[in-house]
Parts: sequence; C-alpha cells; structure tokens
Amino acid sequence: MRAVRWIIAIVVIAGVCRLFPLFHVVTMKTATAEKMAATFNATQFAETFWTTKLLTSRDKTVKADMLLPAIQSDTAAAKKKFSRSVGLSEGYFYFVSGSGRVVAVSDDETSIAVTDGSTNAEVSLQTGLIFGNALRDGTGLLDANNYPNSQDFNDISAALNHIVETRVLPKLREQAKVGAKISFVGCAEVDDESTDLKPLKVIPIQTETQKN
Amino acid sequence: MKTNWLKQMFAAVLATAALLFTQTSTFAEDAAAKPKIAVVVSTLNNPWFVVLGETAKARAMELGYDATIFDSQNDTAKEAAHFENLIAGGYKAVLFNPTDANGSIANVQKAKAAGIPVFCIDREINSTNAATSQMLSDSYSGCVKLGQLFVKTVGKEGEYAELLGIVGDNNTWNRSKGFHSVVDRYPGLKMVAQQSGEFDRAKGLEVMESMLQAHPNIKAVFCGNDSMAMGAYQALVTAGKDKDVKVFGFDGADDVVKSIAEGKIVATGMQFPKKMAQQSAEFADEYIKGKRDFAQKIAVPVEVVTKENVSKYGDYGKK
Repeated sequence: MRAVRWIIAIVVIAGVCRLFPLFHVVTMKTATAEKMAATFNATQFAETFWTTKLLTSRDKTVKADMLLPAIQSDTAAAKKKFSRSVGLSEGYFYFVSGSGRVVAVSDDETSIAVTDGSTNAEVSLQTGLIFGNALRDGTGLLDANNYPNSQDFNDISAALNHIVETRVLPKLREQAKVGAKISFVGCAEVDDESTDLKPLKVIPIQTETQKN
Repeated sequence: MKTNWLKQMFAAVLATAALLFTQTSTFAEDAAAKPKIAVVVSTLNNPWFVVLGETAKARAMELGYDATIFDSQNDTAKEAAHFENLIAGGYKAVLFNPTDANGSIANVQKAKAAGIPVFCIDREINSTNAATSQMLSDSYSGCVKLGQLFVKTVGKEGEYAELLGIVGDNNTWNRSKGFHSVVDRYPGLKMVAQQSGEFDRAKGLEVMESMLQAHPNIKAVFCGNDSMAMGAYQALVTAGKDKDVKVFGFDGADDVVKSIAEGKIVATGMQFPKKMAQQSAEFADEYIKGKRDFAQKIAVPVEVVTKENVSKYGDYGKK
C-alpha cells in the first residue's frame, strides 16, 4: 500500500515538473544567440540609421548661406531660429548644408567659403578624429527618451563617428583641393556663447564635388 | 450612594470631553500637516551626494513640504526597505538617487504602483516607463571633453591607469566609455591598470597604492569620480609621486576644485548637483499640483574645470 502511495506521489511530481519544469537545458550556442539578440547593437543600429534616415534628411537642414549671415547679424536670434539643444545644456547644434569653394586644406580640416563673393574660411569641415555627440544629437532625428540605458544611446555616437571617419572623410580628403567646389551636409556643435563661430566647424555627413 | 453616582457620571463626561478634544486636535494637526517628500540617496558617505540630498531636501521644504533623507548606503536591500517604508508612510513623491541602474527599477515600479511619482537625480535606472522623470548628468559628453584634455596634457604616449566607479552604475561606464572614445584613438597611450574603486575615497587610495606598486611608470590616472581622485592623490603623495602622475577626476566636488586651484589635480567634470536636486524637487512639486507631461530623460551638461577656469567654479557649481 505504501509503495503504491509512493508511486502515485512520484507520478504526480513528475507530471507537475513536466508541466512546470524547474529548469531548461539550453545549448551554449542558443544562449549566446539569445543574449546577442537581447543586447543593443549600436553598430547595426547606426548603419541602418545612417542609410535610411541621416542620408535622406537634407531637407531638415538650414542652408549655410542663410545661417552664416544670420549668426553674424544676431547670434542669439540665429540660435533661437535655427539651432536645437538637448536637456538643460547651454550648448546647441546646427544641422546645416551648403556648398562653396575650398580655400584651405590641412590634416584636420577643409576650409570653405560659402557666401557669394567670399574668399574667407566660413565653414570648416572637420577631417581629423571625430568625437562627441554632434552627429547623434545635431539632427533631432534621435531621442534619448527612447533608450532605457544611456550607454546604448552613447554607443550610437561612437558608431556614427566611426562611419564618418571610415567613409566620409577619406572621400572628402580626396576631393579637398584648393579651388574645388564642394557641397556638404553636416552637424556643427556650439559649446556656449564664447565659442568662435568664424569659421563654423561642421562634422560632415555627406560631401560631393561640384562642377565649376 | 447618589453622590457617588453623580461623581462617576461627572468623571465620565469629563473623560469623554477630554477624549473628543484630543481627537479633534489630532484631526486639526493632520489637516495642517505638510505633505511629505522622500529624498532617497545612494550614499551619504560621499560629500557630493550629501550636497545632492541636502539641496533636494531644502528645496522641497522651501516649496512647503516635509522632506526626509533616506541613506541607502550603496545597498539595494536597504534602498528597497526605504521604499517599503515611504510607501507605507504616505509620502507624496520621491526624489531618488538610485544605487543600481537595474537593481533599483523594481523599487521605482513599486512606488509607481502605489501612485507615488519618482524623480531620479544624477543616476539612471534602465527603464523609460518606471520613473516620472530622470535628471541625469551627461557623463559621456563630459568625459569626452576630459579625454581630449587628457591627451593634450599627458601627451600621446605613456602608461596610465583608470579607477572605475561602482560597476552596476551606468555613470561608471558612461564616464569610462566617453573617456576611452577619445584616449583609445591614440595607440601610444597604454592603459596598464583598470580597477573599481567603488566611487569611494578609501578604496580609491587602496587601489591606487597597489597600482603604483605594480606599475611604477604611469604618467596619469583617470578617476570616475572626485572621491577616488582624492584617494588616488593621497596615495601618490605617500609614494612621493604626486608631482609625476597627473590626476583627473569627475564630479566637481569642492575639495577637488580647490586642489585644481592649488595645482594638485589637473581637472574634473563639474556636474552641478545643486541644480539637478533643485530642479527635481520643483518637478515633484509640479507633479503634486497636477502636471503630468515630464520628459523622461533630461541631460544636464558637464563642464570641464581646469586651473585656467577654476576661478569660475566653487560650491558645487558655477559662481
């Protein structure tokens, strides 16, 4: 009789464990794949964002030949009208496009005159190492509120900067000959009111050589 | 007999009147009692967080609340107990400096379920739907700037060490990643040691001492907060290397700002704890008065303090 009770108990426990297993056996390969899928992949995200959003957002830019005179005329008014900022920052960004003639080239920058008749360096396309969040925050296309972990959001910056360094800058360095006419789209970061905006330092997203 | 009965009746009436009077007084006091706001801080064993907590409390009190500070002592279990108590205690809002980006989410969710809004200050939780709002220092951008200064000051070659903060805190990694996003681009700069000093001065000193023994040739140390920077500097003084090794911190603590002015520490990132604490208390007040649309994450910029601009800073902010 006691043996029967034991058998019934074991069968019941086995049934419960079958329905509600205490543990699952998962292969290392599957576990790794699941972990990777759950981890935010900033490089992959940046790649998609670059292709589908950033390169197609030229219509959201302010034209350099409109922005630069506005800055010279009234910096605060230009900031209010054309810039964007994040959080409580005094710093702000311009998402800017334009075209002009190359007036100087160095290891870290390509200087361009953009307004009619100017021969001065009015825009400096940055061609050295790219740091910071100008590309992530400068366009208004990405919002920190959509990222539970700020580390993921910061990783996007590093991934976008890497794309610029590996794809945009090599091409720009080839194009950058004094006298050449170049069009560009990019982001400029202004730290505060004391930042020198002559020239406006722009991290390029797109550049093209134009026929003279 | 009749006299006794009358005496007893009189005593009973007096007692009832006294009881009624006492209860009426209690109700009146309750009605006049101020609504309560809790300030839950990760640790009060660091002057920076003391300033954060005290400022939040002071601003809440200015706004008409009864505010109390709870010290989690960097322990998620203690933090959970504080939340249980404040939920039971009828607090109207929580100004919260979390202990752990993931481990603190459940506490915030409990408060939310109980109808109590939580406003995170300085430290983040990895959720966008638990806290009402999170006011966070932009540690990453601040450390990008510190990284650029580090390369400019230390040079493009040499050995250096890094003292990390608490490994479960996002600020630790945002600072480290911001710094490395710059410094790692210079192959001549070699990080020979990286270890957690847990955002603690004594631990920072201890870790720096062992790093110096293992790596006597380091030219600089990057510290994830100012407490560790002070600990590291103390270790360098003891080892007679304070003139040879450049120390970089992060926070904007008063003792480090003074040390920068004296040329002992190279730089720090000013985080503005008072500004964040005051704004969060004001958000809580606005919530209690009916406002509901708050941005989930609000970045507060970090400014680099060096010997050149140190005169502009002090008292945990800009003068």
